[in-house]
Amino acid sequence: MKNFDPSNPASPCQAACPVGTDVPAYLDAIWRGDFKRAFEVITHSNPFASICGRVCDAPCEPACRREESDGAIAIRALKRFVMDKGESLVRPPVHPTRLQSVGIVGAGPSGLTAAQDLALAGFKVTIYEASPRLGGMMVWGIPRFRLPDGVIDEDIQRLLARCPGIVVATNTALGRDISLSALKEKHDAVLLAIGATKGKRLDLVSDVADRLIDGVAFLKRVNAGERPAMPAHVLVVGGGDVAMDAARAACRLPGVETVKIVYRRGRMEMPARKHEIEGAEAEGIEIIFNTVPIALKEDVLTCQLTRLGEAGADGRHRFEIVTASDHDIPCGLVIAAIGQEAACDELSGLGLLKNGWIAADPASLATSDPKVFACGDGAFGGSSIVNAMRQGHMAAYLLTAHLEGRANPPPFRTAHPMARPMLANDPEWERLGREMPRFVGLAKGLDGEVEEGFSDDVARAQAARCLRCDAETPSKTYDFLAREHIVAMGRVAPDDVATQWAILSQRLKTRVNPFPAGGPASLDDLVFLPANLSRLVIDPYREACRTQTKIASLTLNAPLIAAGFDQAPQDVRRDLADGLRASGSAYLGLSPLGGDVPWLQLLPPGAQPSSESAGVVLTTPGPLPKTHGVKGVVLTESTLEAGLVQALDQGFDLAVLDGSDGLGGDLAEFGQGPRLGLLGKAIRLLRSLNREEDISIIWFGYVRSGADVAKLLAMGANAVILGASLAIALGAKCGPEGLLGFEPPARTSAGRAQAVSHFLAALSSEAAMMARCTGKTSVHNLEPEDLRSITCRTRQITQMPMTGGRAGL
Amino acid sequence: MVTLDLASMSVRDANRRLRELGEAGEDAEILNPDARHHIGVGLVHPITVRVRGSAGYFCAGLTDGARFEIDSNVGWGVGDNIYNGTVVVGGNAGAVAGVAIRGAEIVIKGNMGSRAGQVMKAGTLLCCGNASFMAGTMMYGGRIVILGRSGEKLGEDMTGGEIYVAGGIDSLGTDAMEIDISSDEVASLQDFLDRHKIPFNGHFRKVVNAGTKLRYTTPEPTLRNQSCTQASVGGFWNEKTKEDIEVKAVTGRYRVRGYGTARAVPHFNDIAFRKEIAPDADALSKVNLAMTLGDRSGAKPLSLSMPVLIAPMSYGALSRSTKLALGIASRLSGIAENTGEGGMIPEERAEAGQLIFQCLSGRLGWNVRDMQKADAIEIYISQGAKPGLGGQLMASKVTPELAAIRGIPPGIDLRSPSRHPDVLGADDLVIKIEEFREATGYAKPISVKLGAGRVKDDIKIAFKDGFDFVELDGLQGSTGAASAEVIEHVGIPTLAAIVEAIEALDEVGAKKNEMPIVLMGGIKDGVDAAKAIALGAGAVAVGTAALIAGGCISCMRCQAGYCVTGIATQNPQHEKRYRTDVEAGNIHRFLESMRWQMAAIVHGLGKTDVRQLCRDDLVALTPEAAAITGLPFEDRS
Repeated sequence: MKNFDPSNPASPCQAACPVGTDVPAYLDAIWRGDFKRAFEVITHSNPFASICGRVCDAPCEPACRREESDGAIAIRALKRFVMDKGESLVRPPVHPTRLQSVGIVGAGPSGLTAAQDLALAGFKVTIYEASPRLGGMMVWGIPRFRLPDGVIDEDIQRLLARCPGIVVATNTALGRDISLSALKEKHDAVLLAIGATKGKRLDLVSDVADRLIDGVAFLKRVNAGERPAMPAHVLVVGGGDVAMDAARAACRLPGVETVKIVYRRGRMEMPARKHEIEGAEAEGIEIIFNTVPIALKEDVLTCQLTRLGEAGADGRHRFEIVTASDHDIPCGLVIAAIGQEAACDELSGLGLLKNGWIAADPASLATSDPKVFACGDGAFGGSSIVNAMRQGHMAAYLLTAHLEGRANPPPFRTAHPMARPMLANDPEWERLGREMPRFVGLAKGLDGEVEEGFSDDVARAQAARCLRCDAETPSKTYDFLAREHIVAMGRVAPDDVATQWAILSQRLKTRVNPFPAGGPASLDDLVFLPANLSRLVIDPYREACRTQTKIASLTLNAPLIAAGFDQAPQDVRRDLADGLRASGSAYLGLSPLGGDVPWLQLLPPGAQPSSESAGVVLTTPGPLPKTHGVKGVVLTESTLEAGLVQALDQGFDLAVLDGSDGLGGDLAEFGQGPRLGLLGKAIRLLRSLNREEDISIIWFGYVRSGADVAKLLAMGANAVILGASLAIALGAKCGPEGLLGFEPPARTSAGRAQAVSHFLAALSSEAAMMARCTGKTSVHNLEPEDLRSITCRTRQITQMPMTGGRAGL
Repeated sequence: MVTLDLASMSVRDANRRLRELGEAGEDAEILNPDARHHIGVGLVHPITVRVRGSAGYFCAGLTDGARFEIDSNVGWGVGDNIYNGTVVVGGNAGAVAGVAIRGAEIVIKGNMGSRAGQVMKAGTLLCCGNASFMAGTMMYGGRIVILGRSGEKLGEDMTGGEIYVAGGIDSLGTDAMEIDISSDEVASLQDFLDRHKIPFNGHFRKVVNAGTKLRYTTPEPTLRNQSCTQASVGGFWNEKTKEDIEVKAVTGRYRVRGYGTARAVPHFNDIAFRKEIAPDADALSKVNLAMTLGDRSGAKPLSLSMPVLIAPMSYGALSRSTKLALGIASRLSGIAENTGEGGMIPEERAEAGQLIFQCLSGRLGWNVRDMQKADAIEIYISQGAKPGLGGQLMASKVTPELAAIRGIPPGIDLRSPSRHPDVLGADDLVIKIEEFREATGYAKPISVKLGAGRVKDDIKIAFKDGFDFVELDGLQGSTGAASAEVIEHVGIPTLAAIVEAIEALDEVGAKKNEMPIVLMGGIKDGVDAAKAIALGAGAVAVGTAALIAGGCISCMRCQAGYCVTGIATQNPQHEKRYRTDVEAGNIHRFLESMRWQMAAIVHGLGKTDVRQLCRDDLVALTPEAAAITGLPFEDRS
């Protein structure tokens, strides 16, 4: 429920990311192989993406909905994969456009992020850094085997290249090289992002001060290139990430035989990331739990055992000392990594820094000095890189408001950009398990990386595992919002009235009418009435429902005819013919398909009937040339009434109702959709003449599925003609603008013929299934009474009654 | 031997006496049976019952361990669903003799009617005379022995088991074939005949399933379902439509998927409350939501803490772990769970405080022992996702364990029959309901599950047939597997269903909630529930929404059997991913949130009891919703 916003829910990983990274969008890009896009998504709100790919504490992973089943998506490692790919996107540089300037003290992740955002907003920014390098704890606090130098430089260079206006003053310490008053003089606002760089003192009885060092100082020395002489046995006190890093750095130094970590609580209470604890243990570092040091002597650390007590107000369990549990652990050096605090004499002198922290308001980041703001670890305590970046974003947001003179800006919140790309259709996505990159461990020493990257194949498979919580579900009933609200309902405490209300007020919102006035009538908006108690007696077992169709002398296996392939390539026509013959279907067109497929000849005015044809169908009402076979005519909205009466007078066997945008034309089924009103009009006319049985009605236009077929039959058609859908089954490409040809073919000739017969079989079985549901033993027994409209427009056009009651209609 | 004379007592009283005698270990004799129905139904003790005359429908039905000797003829469905036991009929038997038996020995000395042994799972059905048409249709196991002649379509669509015929066979049914008989089998048959003292010296022909229809051939490609939103982009021939065509061109059949209607249809979010709901932190303590369900005919009703049930979903469609989580959550929230089609698993029975046991056409997992453990019995006629068709369970989910509880062969693409073998019309249904009441001592509510179609007619029939309540499932109702086209296009929307149902009940003069309608099919929250109840529903049931609260990600690939969250799967590797305790808690909190929402709405509308919600509280926001419900249209856009 962390960061859950019922009005704009994001996927859990995105909501858990302090900088709101759209994780599913970059996983999708990885799966598609679009690494540039993945890079773009990752770096959208994360200026230290390469660094995060190595060392982010990745709060997204525990939030992942696959975490509790077969393991979270390896999000961090996949980020590294993308950043290692090097297919970067160069964003154009942004130069200062405003006159106001901001001085930022400290070039750690929060200071640099704030500098970037302020520079992008057009402000002039100067960043003051006490050390010779930019990066803060990313440089000094994390050992190189986890985070190589080049990776840090990559991110910082990208940031500076994008924001060329940022002035960098390294080796410039507040209080030593420059004063706060000078900064206030020089800048319109000052942001203190000084970090928490001083290791807390371990409260210990000791007469050997040189055998005790704090973890931050130790890591800083090692990261600066020092290789201090080490004793054989090292103890690290603490349970956080710094303790893990210090221990792992120590065991890579020459002379060290054992490194152990002493932690005062149990494994479950350790604040270090699981990944780092596992890394330390994999490197042979023993963790001694429930143990607290009390005295350091020449070659031993005296400790006592602890046990967990009551949970305090902060939720952390207090621990109690177990009486008479003193024991000695041999060691030559103790590294104390029990937390950090901020340190700056100048700020202490000014009263801005008290008890190790800069006093600042967590919502506004304001200090007691109206011109001075503070963010990051120096103000709010030791945290993670990604949280520091969030602080930087927040500081820039609030400083911008301040500098623009806007009081009380809306509370900062991470933007949740949601791309929601299509679902990756990896056939294995349900089964693939979590994999992690290969762990190298100690093999490469102090400067060699401890973990490898993913290969392309593994990365793609790991990305495919994403459940895609961000994606719109395929169901309109349980759409993305509904689903996230239901999930939220399942997570909210029953007595959390505020959240319950927040969810309810979202749920009470109604939706935009999915059937706006003026929309088209659609076969989709007709439903069948199934047989239940009222028609129990009919029991068509399994697939037993007849589809055979007779049109005058023509007998078809199913009420399906093909049309529209007169211009198709010869090989496509040949395969179509094979498929149609196997299916017992027929073809309507200007020229025969051959291959013994019954041919209904489309006859334009003036053309002559062919002796090969099974019958002729006039393209427009008119006199019929002499012919031996089936006789029919194509009728459209404009020719229906007169044409149908004429056809009856001429004794025609069939009328093709052209509900498309022009039977035979290239765009026949790529226009405004089926003219469904035509069918009802024809049937009502026949009924009024009492001649329903005298002529077969054949529908053409936009038939996609067996459900369409069944509905058209129920509305009075005797058969339907397939055009575009059959072309797609044959492998035609198509876009909204029409069919785009059959090249390149996706199947062999036999495969294409089979695709035709399979498609017809599928449609036929679907139509039969609909008929069975309504209690029919033949598709031709479907009747208008089996249908209901569910939208007003479709009811109006088709005249099928509306479902429901209470005299609504 | 105790004598019971049906000339002077009702069958109901006689059956009660038979149960007492069975417990006491005494045999009984029935005089003047007069072809009355349900004689001996529900006996679960080793008692011998001698019927001196002819019995009507379902004689010896739903029993376990008893022996029946009927001097003369029997009507339909003799020995219906017997678990174990023996029935000897001196004369002829009507249609569907030995229907759905699970292990009995039934001997019919005379002829038997059509469709004998339909959906039987195990046991032996012997007919010494001739059998009418379609003996052994859709049988799953066991053996049918016909000493005389068999009618047409012998073994039609049989799945498993064997049929032995000594006389002629008029014709074999679809997917049945004749094979050679082994000497062991002949010996076993002779043994059976000897044991029942039936003289025989002929030769048997053996008929079994031909195996052409048990499995779909070309598998459907593994594709994640596309969203409707995406499908509606791209014009008429959009990506979704093209994919459907391309897949059908590969498989040659309809597509199968899980979940309910994917496209938008008029629904509860197209209607709104007339009044704005103001927040009140204490609403829950100020309104009554509790109710009882199912006491129309004097049975012990279900006691619900709110008008919500868990919708019927089977063990089979869902993993065992998921069924347990639903059971636990329903108990914690004080509502009722439902077994669905797949039989009752003991852990589910133990976890669920109140459990409805569903009886389907295939009688899969159906038996008298579990009936008696249930809190209510439900006859499934159809469901919203695929009304008019039977259940489907793809082979990947038909594991040996699951097949055992259902009494079917493992590894088949299971397609349940569309209709009940012994319910061909509304009048049969009355007799079937009575059989269930006899089997459970008239103590359990009996409901009917209906997919919404011709709702007005169906509800009137259900009312007349005496059901205690109806579970009515709209078009949007979900399933574990069905034809995608049927899911989308057969049935009427849930919103229309409840309006038609209440109108029908008013027309036959039913009092409010005399036969409550439990509405389902797209009920997502307390808001939908409150709207449904305002339109006249007695309660609602949640299926999909409960699953989503418990981890379902709505990928709609329930049919495939490799559910990524371990919900819709029988694969142990995948089921392992489902954490029953965690998800039970999530589902429970979801139900509690529904409760909170309903209370907030009832209170917000100025009422003190959920049953006070009415149509006057609602308005329609779209022309469709107004047309479907008859609620006043209010344009708030």
